[in-house]
Amino acid sequence: MAKLNKDSLKTLSFITYFIILFVFWFILSGYLKSLLLFFGLVSVLFVFWMSYRAKALEEDSLPLKIILRLPFYWIWLFKEIFKSGVTTTALIWNGKYSPQLISVKASQKNRTGIANYANAITLTPGTVTIEIDKKKFLVHALSKKLSEDLQTDDMNKVITDLDK
Amino acid sequence: MSYNYIELISLVLLAIGCFFILSGSLGLIKLPDVFSRIHAAGLIDTLGSGFIVLALIIYSGFSLLSLKLLLIPLFLIFTSPVTGHAIALFAHESGYKPRGKNKK
Repeated sequence: MAKLNKDSLKTLSFITYFIILFVFWFILSGYLKSLLLFFGLVSVLFVFWMSYRAKALEEDSLPLKIILRLPFYWIWLFKEIFKSGVTTTALIWNGKYSPQLISVKASQKNRTGIANYANAITLTPGTVTIEIDKKKFLVHALSKKLSEDLQTDDMNKVITDLDK
Repeated sequence: MSYNYIELISLVLLAIGCFFILSGSLGLIKLPDVFSRIHAAGLIDTLGSGFIVLALIIYSGFSLLSLKLLLIPLFLIFTSPVTGHAIALFAHESGYKPRGKNKK
């Protein structure tokens, strides 16, 4: 993406948000009549105005840069979820769990990245983020292997790279 | 060919999803404390519902309906970690200590 100044970036994120909202409306309704499309436009504009008023459209909360990489990231995340899900299932059935607390470092720069990382840790079965302290997470893991997987820092790197 | 391949695939995926939900429910009863039980609940949320939605999408064919079905795991991806984290944080703040090895 070319170097953009702050205002044009903001406009671009507004347009993206509007398109996302309208596509979402269309998926949920599925109507193609022009009158109903007009009503959809009105409701999308209303939601847009409300989120503008609630200051939900700051640069930090709608990161444009990562939107194109997001599908690949989700595929990768699903793979991770599946891997640790199988491990957790095996632990539940054979009963060889040994819960432990570990602390994990996060190297993301903005708040969205940190929230993303904490969510990804909680989303993979077998690890839960308990507390977030600036750049350090307190994580509860179900077994030693799961906590070691987390401490190899792979997930941290992938999510930091999302925001380059 | 007497039976339909699409039905067979979605049946297998449904069975896998049901197995993960069964394991999650078993974990909810079996695991020792609050923190470990969140893991079991997370297993149901992610893998159980994910596989079942995948099976339903394959079964119903690709249409607007499958896009709607895809929205379910998308929302679960955002909401399930938040609830898990909220429960864990509350248990931590009110002074619960995670239990260690297999204590009955």
